Amino acid sequence: MNKLSKLFMILSVFSFAVPAFAQGGAESGVNWVAIAAGFSMAFASGICALAQGKATASAAESLARNPAARPGIQLALILGLALIESLALYTLVIIFAKVK
Amino acid sequence: MPEQLWFTKILNGMFAVPVTMLLRLLHIEPKYPAASISNSFSMEVLVFCFLLVLFLIVRSRLSVDRPGALQHMFEGVEGFIHGQSEEIIGHHSEGYTAFLAALCFFILLCNLIGVIPGFESPTAVPIVPLGCALCAFVYYQIQGFKHAGIGYLKHFAGPMPALAPLMIPIELISHLARVLSLTIRLFANMFAGDMVTLVFFSLVPIGVPIVFLGLHIGVSLLQTYIFVLLTTVYLQGAVSEEH
Repeated sequence: MNKLSKLFMILSVFSFAVPAFAQGGAESGVNWVAIAAGFSMAFASGICALAQGKATASAAESLARNPAARPGIQLALILGLALIESLALYTLVIIFAKVK
Repeated sequence: MPEQLWFTKILNGMFAVPVTMLLRLLHIEPKYPAASISNSFSMEVLVFCFLLVLFLIVRSRLSVDRPGALQHMFEGVEGFIHGQSEEIIGHHSEGYTAFLAALCFFILLCNLIGVIPGFESPTAVPIVPLGCALCAFVYYQIQGFKHAGIGYLKHFAGPMPALAPLMIPIELISHLARVLSLTIRLFANMFAGDMVTLVFFSLVPIGVPIVFLGLHIGVSLLQTYIFVLLTTVYLQGAVSEEH
């Protein structure tokens, strides 16, 4: 399967959004805020997980290379993980502050 | 009337009227004048009184020849915090251990008290972590001024005097952002732990919430450690001297 047909396959998923154009305003409407909240939290958690994985991987490797430096590496790892985690949590706080 | 914990009800029964009068003196109208002490405040008061009694007991039983179990535990905590601040700040960091240890005990107990049924974590409302973060902020600024006098303000000017007009707003904003990040980190972790346990409790009432409560306890300990660690790092930024 070449790249173009793969691209079209992925883009065809957007056709699922077509019912959003169906009715003008007769019903109460789609709750876009909740959908956006779900997507943004998923993005934040996913990218946070990638970053924490990178931090943990490099900490594990440096620990394997130099086990004597354990206190310093442990400190840097825990500090780094907590700071990255807090960035994903800022998204959660905005969701709870803004979504009714 | 708001939903009150049993301890809040006791406190409100005794102190709601004087507290409402005090708040009205400060031109704040409480939302429920008959129950002007909120749940989070009463839990904070409980933690404070418990810690006060604990510290007084340990203080009265200190002994060089025959230390008891409590003294061992407190010496362990002091050794840990002192060791860490020595590693990060370097020399002469004994003076900071008292504040850091008190902060550690307070935040740890505030986080953990929510696990007991009938109590709730005061740190799960945004105002309590803000209070802790403001205490830490004021403390390290005061220590910076004590250490370097008025020369502490040079820290805000950046590495070169020519860059000062650019650096001063950036440094001011980044110092204020520290307060914000400390607050939100602690609040969001505690709040999210509560939420996640509730959500899984509503799905599978038996067995699964225990896993998330265990995770919440682990996160409580870790977030306390991170708060104290970050305060130590900010202290190091404030009192370090360039060699």
